[in-house]
Amino acid sequence: MININPYIPVPVQISKIINEVDTNDIKTFRFTFLNKEDEQNFKYMPGQFAELSIYGKGESPIGIASSPTQQGFVEFTVQRAGVIVPGLVTSALHDMDEGAQIGIRGPLGNSWPIEFLEKKNIVVVGGGFAFTTLRSLINYMLHKDNRSRFGEITVIYGARTPGLLLYKDELAAWEKRDDIKSVITVDKGDESWKGRQGFVPAVCKEVAPSPKNTVAVICGPPIMIKFTLPVFFDLGFSRGNIITSLEMRMKCGIGKCGRCNVGYKYVCIDGPVFSLAELEELPRDY
Amino acid sequence: MLKKIAIEKISQLVAVLMEKGTLLAPVKEISGHNFAQILDPQKVDLNFYNTILSPKGAFFPHKEDFVKYKIGKPLAEAEPAVLNLKPAFLFGVRPCDVKSFEIMDIHFDAAGIIDPYWRARREATTIFGYAYDLSVPVDSADFYNTLGINAADPEGSDIFMVKNDKELLLKGITPKGKKLLGELSVLAKASSGDEKYFEGYIKKGKEYKTRFLSLDQDAVAKKLEDIFDNTDFWTRMSSACLSCGICTFVCPTCYCFDICDDTLFGKGTRRRVWDACMFTDFTLEASGHNPRAQVYQRLRQKISHKYSYHIRKYGVISCVGCGRCTRSCPVNIDIYSIVSDALKA
Repeated sequence: MININPYIPVPVQISKIINEVDTNDIKTFRFTFLNKEDEQNFKYMPGQFAELSIYGKGESPIGIASSPTQQGFVEFTVQRAGVIVPGLVTSALHDMDEGAQIGIRGPLGNSWPIEFLEKKNIVVVGGGFAFTTLRSLINYMLHKDNRSRFGEITVIYGARTPGLLLYKDELAAWEKRDDIKSVITVDKGDESWKGRQGFVPAVCKEVAPSPKNTVAVICGPPIMIKFTLPVFFDLGFSRGNIITSLEMRMKCGIGKCGRCNVGYKYVCIDGPVFSLAELEELPRDY
Repeated sequence: MLKKIAIEKISQLVAVLMEKGTLLAPVKEISGHNFAQILDPQKVDLNFYNTILSPKGAFFPHKEDFVKYKIGKPLAEAEPAVLNLKPAFLFGVRPCDVKSFEIMDIHFDAAGIIDPYWRARREATTIFGYAYDLSVPVDSADFYNTLGINAADPEGSDIFMVKNDKELLLKGITPKGKKLLGELSVLAKASSGDEKYFEGYIKKGKEYKTRFLSLDQDAVAKKLEDIFDNTDFWTRMSSACLSCGICTFVCPTCYCFDICDDTLFGKGTRRRVWDACMFTDFTLEASGHNPRAQVYQRLRQKISHKYSYHIRKYGVISCVGCGRCTRSCPVNIDIYSIVSDALKA
């Protein structure tokens, strides 16, 4: 990396924008690299993130939502921030149209521990907006070249309302497949919702995945995590077999700027993915 | 190889170094000394105890431009900052500050991705270490002995300097320093008496005592982990703290930075600037969540980073005991006392 300045972003173009939710504040941006070489250097695995960079506004660390099995582009699902802090980058991005150019730095951070997950059953639990790198993982595992490397795949995904579910087309496609069990739930349905209603922790309890040779990969808002973890403990999952991804404020993304540490670990390089066993070794400073 | 120059001729040496490249040396400012780029040889002032700001700015300047751009233009038109560094000379660095470069090297130039700016500036620079004046009483804030550093320790310097009544003695320590000394014809050869004086001074430096705490690195790292949840202790330690961040700005081993976009009239610069873990919004996330919103959490982070996390991560304490944070703190918070109290907590 010495020859490439790690602080300078490479150019990408927005090739597609998908409005994910009925509140219009979460969009998926598909980027294509302007230079072939930059695309080749951007070799990532599910669970990694990148800094989306807009000159004049700043940078935002965002998890990669596409899977490396999808060639020719990279996708990020971005929520417009700005309720509490200004959200300069995400707001500027949301105001952009297809064809606009931004910068990207990455891929950054570790990834979901693919080798560790191999030959095991995988339970993916997601809540709300925190489903983006889980989607990357699911699409990676479902790819025809990879599917046989993993055991049973169960996805439990919930949102507050049907309109807040991300990747609706893919959710529908997963329902039709027989090599993935997908359980989609909403806290509160509407008149057109025919699916399940209920909070993620309760649904997990009902689905009751066996802990045998199984790893749970869990991402969601703190309140969901708080009530979901005890369910998995009760089911007999060990701390080492529960994997999650942390968020901290970041700037450099390469372990230099000093702000995203939790104890002696930097979330940007040692994370964002940690097992619960690893997290319990660290001070509760996140 | 020991060389020397009469004190009244130091400005001649300075002038030669200015011809060879960029010279950074202590100059007297209104409230004390600081390192500055020398444009007038007469400005170098070696009659100082230690500078207010550490010399880290020589390698990690307060502002470092990354790239200049025009807003709304394609990224390909942006212009990354080119360093184009001339050879640089950092003149008159106290031994504890020399040690700080070694600690910062691990972070910026050895672990993980290399920071290109730190490396380039470091490689371009020759360090002239400078022994403390042993005839001046030690400042009560200093505790570099605690970190295994003494007042006349030549280790880490390219050239090490000791002053006697009439002359400045200079010894080449590294190959880079020895080579430079050989090129400086303005210097005179030292006598065997000078050699004796120089060696004697280095030895005497070990008896020049600062505050001292017997520290076992691993034990202090562990202890700070153990008292992480002792909120009473951290609240007590931080009760006076104003979160002003001065302790981090004067510190030779604090490296936290922010990356900012500075724009005006359609043009912009992205640069890094020093930041401080003592600031409320340092860890404020877009969601509004802030893991270190309270002052006790931030002081705990600062102390634990230096005396625990850094040891776990890099194997060294991230402090050289220069005493600057204590001297600069407007409310007399003293890191030495906090570490000392933490061990008893």
